[in-house]
Amino acid sequence: MQIAIQGIGVVGGFGTGVTEMRQALLTGTSNRATLDLSNCGTPLNIPAFRANISRLTDYVPLKALRRVDNFSKLALLGAYLALEDAGVLAEGKQERLGVVIASGYGATGITFAFLDSFINDGDICASPTYFANSVHNSAAAYISIMLGATGPSSTVSQFHHSVPSALQTAWLWLAEGRVDRVLFGAVEELSELIGYAWYRQRGTAHKPEMTPLLTGVESAIPGEGAAFLLLTRKEEAQDGYCLLDRVTTGRLLKPGFLSSPQDLLVLGADGRIEKGGDYAQLAEKSTVACFTALYGSMPCGPALDIAIAALMLKEGKTFASPGGGICDFPASVAAGGNILESHRVSCLSLSDEDCFGLVSLAKG
Amino acid sequence: MDTKEKLKKILIDDLNLEELTPEDIDDNAPLFGEGLGLDSLDAVELVVIIQKHFGIEIKNMEEGRVAFQSIEALAAYIDTRMESA
Repeated sequence: MQIAIQGIGVVGGFGTGVTEMRQALLTGTSNRATLDLSNCGTPLNIPAFRANISRLTDYVPLKALRRVDNFSKLALLGAYLALEDAGVLAEGKQERLGVVIASGYGATGITFAFLDSFINDGDICASPTYFANSVHNSAAAYISIMLGATGPSSTVSQFHHSVPSALQTAWLWLAEGRVDRVLFGAVEELSELIGYAWYRQRGTAHKPEMTPLLTGVESAIPGEGAAFLLLTRKEEAQDGYCLLDRVTTGRLLKPGFLSSPQDLLVLGADGRIEKGGDYAQLAEKSTVACFTALYGSMPCGPALDIAIAALMLKEGKTFASPGGGICDFPASVAAGGNILESHRVSCLSLSDEDCFGLVSLAKG
Repeated sequence: MDTKEKLKKILIDDLNLEELTPEDIDDNAPLFGEGLGLDSLDAVELVVIIQKHFGIEIKNMEEGRVAFQSIEALAAYIDTRMESA
């Protein structure tokens, strides 16, 4: 069974929605901001790609969002944008819609605020709203409730493998006929906790730009955002972007295993030097692109790569890798604005546990 | 700042009533249902807020029912409890 991508909803450092993402791809630029850290002894800030969720009130009244935490707001915005992009938002209640969310870190902001309230004020002062938002599946629940979705909802957290794992869940639901559509989404938020962990691991020194295809150079900048895809079975698809051809996860990946040499390979290399060498080895002699410099380093970044790959397949054109695509391993970096000659685009992500996720998209 | 004004500010901040300012909140309007429009989860949150900000524990449901009528009633309840402490 093949699955069609009907709509895309994205938010990140590049902006909000497919139009702004496309513009960032064309210009190769993104808005880099900072993340303030107040719990590091002295106040610090680190560079970061931040997501702006202000457009959420285009879809949901402010009053209805008052108990919704930042992570779930990111998810809701991505979900509404994907439905709008697919042209199904006006349908109203989304019955037989499943919701599956992938997140490497989850809702760390509200979860740790809840835990802090225990420490600072005692368990009797623990906020019930914080508790509700700290529950693992709360973002998917908010989406299901607000959209009137009566299909299953789930959240998958498998760190860098969250995206392919959640996609496999979506695939199963459609194959089983449990639902007619699945709203797949990947979400990461940059909470102060994540910033602190980043600072402890990598300090505050950073390169002015991410250069992820220079795999021997540390250039990672953390990012946050969401990428949602509205998925249907191929036979029920209308227009849309492309087909989700294959989702593979596993170990023991060898060069050449990835995809046909003529397929474009989008690398999830995100400037973290510890994984750079693996990407370089696996992508050797391939035609590659890499877009992490537009949205930053985050476990769910591969979902944004999938969104970009889907856009390339729909438009039949390539986008240039930001930063001129300077590469330090023997591969061919796809130039921007060219006709996309390959029928398929594959997105590769590697985890710290030497596992891989490979999501292949094909022209519909 | 008197207790009523302090309460209004705390409710707006802690219950995320972003669309309101302290001036929008009528001292005598019901907190629940019509009026401020709070609900049952807010009632639990209010108990936590009162304890956290004023050090007052509301253990008795009947006390809470009277105190949670309005900003005026809640401020009077807090002032009385603080005076008797």
